[in-house]
Formats: sequence, structure tokens, C-alpha cells
Amino acid sequence: MTKGLRRAAVLCLLATGTLTAATAAMAGTTERYLHVKVDDAKNGESVNVNVPLSLAEKILPAVNKGNLHAGKVTVGDIDADGVDVRGILDAIRSAPDNEFVTVKQKDQEVRVAKSNGNLIVHVKNNDKDGERVDVTVPMKVVDALFSTAKKDELDIAAAIRALSDAGDILIVTVQDASQHVRVWVDSKNTSE
Amino acid sequence: MILIGKVALGLVGTAVAGVGLLCSEGFVEVNVVEKQPEAHHIFVVAPAMLAPIGMHFVPKHHLAQAAREVRPYLPVIRAALDGLRDADDVTLVEVTEPDEHVTVMKEGGSIIVDVKDKDETVHVSVPIRAMSSTIEELAAASPATQP
Repeated sequence: MTKGLRRAAVLCLLATGTLTAATAAMAGTTERYLHVKVDDAKNGESVNVNVPLSLAEKILPAVNKGNLHAGKVTVGDIDADGVDVRGILDAIRSAPDNEFVTVKQKDQEVRVAKSNGNLIVHVKNNDKDGERVDVTVPMKVVDALFSTAKKDELDIAAAIRALSDAGDILIVTVQDASQHVRVWVDSKNTSE
Repeated sequence: MILIGKVALGLVGTAVAGVGLLCSEGFVEVNVVEKQPEAHHIFVVAPAMLAPIGMHFVPKHHLAQAAREVRPYLPVIRAALDGLRDADDVTLVEVTEPDEHVTVMKEGGSIIVDVKDKDETVHVSVPIRAMSSTIEELAAASPATQP
């Protein structure tokens, strides 16, 4: 009887282990999607784009046209007007959560901050359209973007790989008087 | 009598195998319904394998121009088709306008395009494997790959 119980216990353990491993493997292969949704309420138009990130990861390295080659895009001089963008990003990466830039003008408000491992940019226009742009990019994605050896390149493929590991995230929202644009990543294959 | 039976069985077997092979890459489906007073309805279902087989028998010099033009994009097309084949079913693009609705989907190994507007409804379904085979046949017709 004891032998039988032991066998049953071992079998249960094996079954549990196999199930756990299978669940972990399935969780690891869950497809993730980059969604773009544009709603134009004024004209009654909408566009939804749902791209599996694995598809983007496969296609990008194959594109060699214009500034895009092997998953990297050449953007010219990133050191804009003598400002060392990589240097600034290094500083932001190592800094604690903080609000780095706040600009309040009569017609525009800009805010750049770091919060919970994300780089956050808010822009709000105080004109009649009241356009508002919110960008949230995980620092890991920013790091991946600037991970190339060349100073004038952005590694889009690496950024997409980082994005697929970053969890569900709303990356960009743009809202004006008539249009609403959203870009986000999750594991649902629809824009709902 | 037994010999005739065996020959008949062989022929039927070959025919079944041939049909099976022909259908192995699925079917291309085109369905166009016009909404005009004199409405036309076009409905075509054909084995997808016919496209690459057809391409194989087209004289190479007729395909040379197309092959040359598609050649720079082959790596991207191959990567896209590979990625699509491996991806789960998904609505890739959906465009809604007041009088038009367009969807591009990946569903069960096929790319499906549906267009509905005030004049007509169009449904096209093409298996991804057939697209790959057709593109490879076209690539093989490129002058650079000729002996």
C-alpha cells in the first residue's frame, strides 16, 4: 500500500512538473501585438492595424531600402545641434524617477519625466484644437533603440524585441479636436 | 478481369493522389458581388497549387521582367510570408469609412481580403503557402538564376 502511495505521489509530482513546464513554455511563446488605432469621429473613419511583433521582428532585418537596413535605421547626426542625445539618455537611465523638463508657455505645455522605468513625454497645445500627445516608452526599449555601435543609427529590430518583453503598454496617444490615435502593445489579436 | 480491376484501381488511385496533390495547398477563392441594378456575381474557387504550376510552365522570358522587378523585394516577401505563416490568426488591417469597410486578415493559413462598399462586395482568400510557391517560381524565372 505504501509502495502504491509512493508511486502515485511520484506520478503526481511528475505530472505537476510536466504541466508547469508546459504552461511556462506556452506563456513564453504567447504572441504579442503592436496595435495602431486611428479614430476620426468628425469624418466617421477609423483605421486599425494589428501587427504580430514576431512578424515585425522577422520582416525588419530583411528590409534594405533607404535609411533602413538590417533592422537599423540611419538617422543622420543624432547629436542634434551639439546636444549629445546618448549622453542625456545615459543620464536619465541612471537617474531616479523625476520630472526632467517642464515647459509651460501660453500656447503649449511640455513635460518630460521618468517614472517606473518608463520615459514619459507629454505635449499639450492650448490652441482651439487642444492637441495632446502622450508618449510612454519603457527605458529598456530606449536602450535597445540606441544599442548600436554606430552613433547615427537606431536599432529598430532590437527595440521591437525589447517591446515584446515589456508587457502590456500604451505607448502613444494623440488626441485633437477630431482625431484620436493610440499605439499600444498587448497579447490580444484585436484592437478592442 | 482481375487485371482490369487492378488497372482501374491504379488509375483511380492515381487520380485521387493527383487531386489530393492539387488541393494540398488549399484553394484560392474570389467572390465579387456587384450591387448595381445589373448585378454581376463572380465566384471562383480554384486549387491554389494551380498558380505555381501555371507559373512553372510559362516561358521564362515572359516572366523575366516581373522576376527582375520582384527580385530586390524577395528577402522581405519571404520574411513576411514566413512570419505570416507562423503567426496566429489576426485582423492585420481594418479600415472603416462611412461607405466602405476593408479588412485584411490572416486566418487558418490564408490571407483574406474583404472589401465592402456601396457598389460591390469583394472577398479574396489566398493560401500563404501558395503565395510562397508562386513567388519562388517567379524568382526562379529571374535571369540571374538562369543557367
